[in-house]
Amino acid sequence: MRRTVLKVVAASAVLTLASACGNSGPGTGSGAAGADVQVWALEDAAVNPIATRSIADFNAGTGDNVKLVTYVNDAYKQKLQVAMGSPQAPDVFFNWGGGNLKQFVDAKQVEPLDDLLAKNPGLTDKFLPSVMDVGKVGGKQYGLPMIGVLPVVLFINKDVFAKAGVQPPTTYAELLNLIDVFKSKGITPIALAGSQGWTELMWLEYLLDRIGGVDKFKAIVDGRDGAWTDPAVVKSLGEIQNLVKRGAFGSNYASVNYDNQGASKLFATGKAAMHLMGTWDYSVQKDANPKFITDGKLGYVGFPAYEGGAGDPKAVVGNPSNYYSINAGSKNKAVATDFLAKSLTSDAYINGLIEAGQVPPVKGIEATLKAKPNSEFTTFTYDLVAGAPSFTQSWDQALSPSVSAELLTNLQKLFINKITPDEFAGNMAKVK
Amino acid sequence: MSGKNRANVPAGVLATVWLIIVAVPIYFVVITGFRTQDAYIEQGPLDLPTRPTLGNFTSLFELGFTTYLVNSLIVAFGTVAVVLGVALPAAYAIVRNPSRQLKIAFNVFLLGLAVPAQAVIVPIYLIITRLQLYDSLLAVILPTAAFSLPIAIVVLTSTLRDIPGELYEAMTVDGAASGRIFTRLVLPLSRPGLVSVGIFVGLGAWNGFLFPLVLTQSDEQRVLTLGLWKFQSQYGTNVPGLMAAVVLSALPVLALYLFGRRHLLSGLAAGFGK
Amino acid sequence: MIAAARRERPGFTWAAPAVLFFLALGILPVFAVVYLSFTKWNGLGDPQWIGLDNWKSITDDPDLVNGIVKTVTLTVVSWLLQTPLALLIGVWAAGPQRGRAALSTLFFLPLLLSTAAISLTFVSLLDPNFGLAADYGKYVGFADGNFLGSDHALYVVAFVVAWQFVPFHTLLYQSATRQIPRSLYEAAQIDGATGVRQFFAITLPQLRNTIIASSVLMLVGSLTYFEMILLMTNGGPGTATRVLPLHMYIKGFVGFDMGYASVLAVLLVAVGTALSVVVVRSTGYHRMASDREGA
Repeated sequence: MRRTVLKVVAASAVLTLASACGNSGPGTGSGAAGADVQVWALEDAAVNPIATRSIADFNAGTGDNVKLVTYVNDAYKQKLQVAMGSPQAPDVFFNWGGGNLKQFVDAKQVEPLDDLLAKNPGLTDKFLPSVMDVGKVGGKQYGLPMIGVLPVVLFINKDVFAKAGVQPPTTYAELLNLIDVFKSKGITPIALAGSQGWTELMWLEYLLDRIGGVDKFKAIVDGRDGAWTDPAVVKSLGEIQNLVKRGAFGSNYASVNYDNQGASKLFATGKAAMHLMGTWDYSVQKDANPKFITDGKLGYVGFPAYEGGAGDPKAVVGNPSNYYSINAGSKNKAVATDFLAKSLTSDAYINGLIEAGQVPPVKGIEATLKAKPNSEFTTFTYDLVAGAPSFTQSWDQALSPSVSAELLTNLQKLFINKITPDEFAGNMAKVK
Repeated sequence: MSGKNRANVPAGVLATVWLIIVAVPIYFVVITGFRTQDAYIEQGPLDLPTRPTLGNFTSLFELGFTTYLVNSLIVAFGTVAVVLGVALPAAYAIVRNPSRQLKIAFNVFLLGLAVPAQAVIVPIYLIITRLQLYDSLLAVILPTAAFSLPIAIVVLTSTLRDIPGELYEAMTVDGAASGRIFTRLVLPLSRPGLVSVGIFVGLGAWNGFLFPLVLTQSDEQRVLTLGLWKFQSQYGTNVPGLMAAVVLSALPVLALYLFGRRHLLSGLAAGFGK
Repeated sequence: MIAAARRERPGFTWAAPAVLFFLALGILPVFAVVYLSFTKWNGLGDPQWIGLDNWKSITDDPDLVNGIVKTVTLTVVSWLLQTPLALLIGVWAAGPQRGRAALSTLFFLPLLLSTAAISLTFVSLLDPNFGLAADYGKYVGFADGNFLGSDHALYVVAFVVAWQFVPFHTLLYQSATRQIPRSLYEAAQIDGATGVRQFFAITLPQLRNTIIASSVLMLVGSLTYFEMILLMTNGGPGTATRVLPLHMYIKGFVGFDMGYASVLAVLLVAVGTALSVVVVRSTGYHRMASDREGA
């Protein structure tokens, strides 16, 4: 109420000044009879057209006016944080699930979707359960998957492997052995974009999952005492420093940047033999080095098993999906929920994602995947996720932003031997 | 002047070295703009493109580059207009009137010289939304101008102090009021200072990144610096596309520079040199 | 006093728009940040008052001291690198050699590029495997091209900052050198002073104010400077290039700990203000030469 009064007063005062007005206020609709609903998402050349199409279909069917607004990664997170709870907030917003979503839920800004799921019983059954779980906070569903699964896998340069006469690693001991082999041949064993902490984080995620099992990170997420200083965590950190010492990443990895394809190029040109990265790197390679894929040189395997480790070698880490959630302060909740129910599982949307090379977290799409391009890779990805006992979300998404920021800083220090595993664990235990 | 030339040999060598250091990255930017994505991956950074393409430039216009360009120009010129419009009268009053109030005002501006914009971005956001200006170009122009005021006032006051007092006296004896003195004397004689402030503030607004990022959201209000981010997807950057955008966005400034070089140099001398 | 009555005196009204404008968008936000520094807020919902907790946690923040050290280092290194370069090139470019206009234009080019563009360009050029760093790194002591990932990353950043800003300062010196009366040099010539002596006896003293003005801009700029570092190294490797403004940015806009970030912001504003005062006092900008000619 107070806000509307303020609005009227301020608007009349500033009306003379305002050269252009955003569409946050009422009455700036396009003249359509329905509600104006803003959907915020990330800039994504592959997915945005599909989303736009499904929105157009929805608008045509209902007379509503749903609009997609997109941002690049870092800008998006900041804008969302600042806009939520203000009149500029979106009605439907893209998020990463997990800790990223939890902070909005804690601030009571997200609408639970339980009613929607109760009304549409088919919806829950359509998605892979491990992926749905990441859209839950405190046992309630707050987000629905809206994009393909993106697990982290070990990419293999088959060409380099064949020339060295070796096979992809299935165990950690084999991986260590391969590092020595490639190093002796003057090839960087593993490409690593070490100027960015999130690429280094993938190593810690998989090592802890294999060494200590899936519960060790759960304890960290739940903020239990001693979770960071757990022996399994310290051991994983130690393994990372062993890898660095062994020369697994070469000597100049800390200068390599992922965003300008520094690591992907290193790997595709055969200067590096392996690359641990999210499955999105397949699309990156396809755009930048199409021949690398068409010549059949790009291989991929799951992360190797760790002898004597407590974790399941089939478990995966990465981004289960991204999610759409509904702003609790939205004036158009009914339309927004309707939009999620109708568009996210429509055949057009899911097939569109598959066309774009994505692997939607939806049951029973194996046949469709096989009939489409890149089927070898998409099928591998789908089987990997569908067969995984657990799908641990990327730590920097699962933890709160303030903990993530500290985590990435400490990890970079660990990778350049500025701190020991014990110091790392101690530093993280102090972060609130 | 032969003596002067000889002394300049070491400086000339240094200038040549620095020229190469400047030229190589610029060459890289321009040349990369004409590459295809896969050529960028295959070739060395300084190789001439084997298959030069204009594709990056044409796709820029499809991506709405024109809108961004116009927005950036509006922001740059709008900021300069606001800054000069309020700073020159203020500088005039500060220089010509030794009252306590104006002394305090001047010191407030001096203190604001080093307030980092990012330190106060959150309150700025709240103020702009309260004013109902969010997601308009005015939302970018106003804070950018406010943060440019201190430097503008400092430079303009020092320019105005260089106007000999006798000129003011002469006009006063003729019975001219402040307003007339301002238009007849201050305005024409402060032109070099205005030029240097205009350039400095304009370039700052042109390159501004944080204010547009936080204070605008729709594509219609996007400026060039944010438009460059279009070439960054969730998982990487299209470097050639980005470089093409950089080349295009540099052209308007280059044109302005070539056009106003003489004014710029004399303005800078008057503004910062005394 | 009688003489004063005959003088025009533009009143406070002339300065009012600028003052009010700056108070609203420049000073008011500073007070808001001071308030926020006593609250706990992640940008969502409303800030909660927690008193001095944020201020107390300064002592637990190892990155704060690191940030101050890095900021001071970057400022000093930048000044030492940029001032001699800009001064010498500026004086040289003011000389009589042919093709000066074309050369000046070339020098000016970096000013046309936005910070974001410059940062991304240098990240590509400094790629240790594919950039220039790979081929030429060995000639400057970086055998594996590990520029941005080494302990020397801060100096590399200082170099790129210089690349961006030397042209501007060069322009300042060039235009100021042109203002030096020729008669001074002619007199020196008659006294038999050589070029080097002329430079130290005439050029340098005549440029004193320009050196001060250019240094002020560098100092003040260094406190607000973080965008390039954010895009080039993000403060890394580890915290090797994490200057104070960037530290604040990461705390506030990556970690969304707005309360503590506001503490850092207040510190930044305080340091900036102190620096401004020192600079202003030492340069005499504050003297209100309203009655005298700008002697």
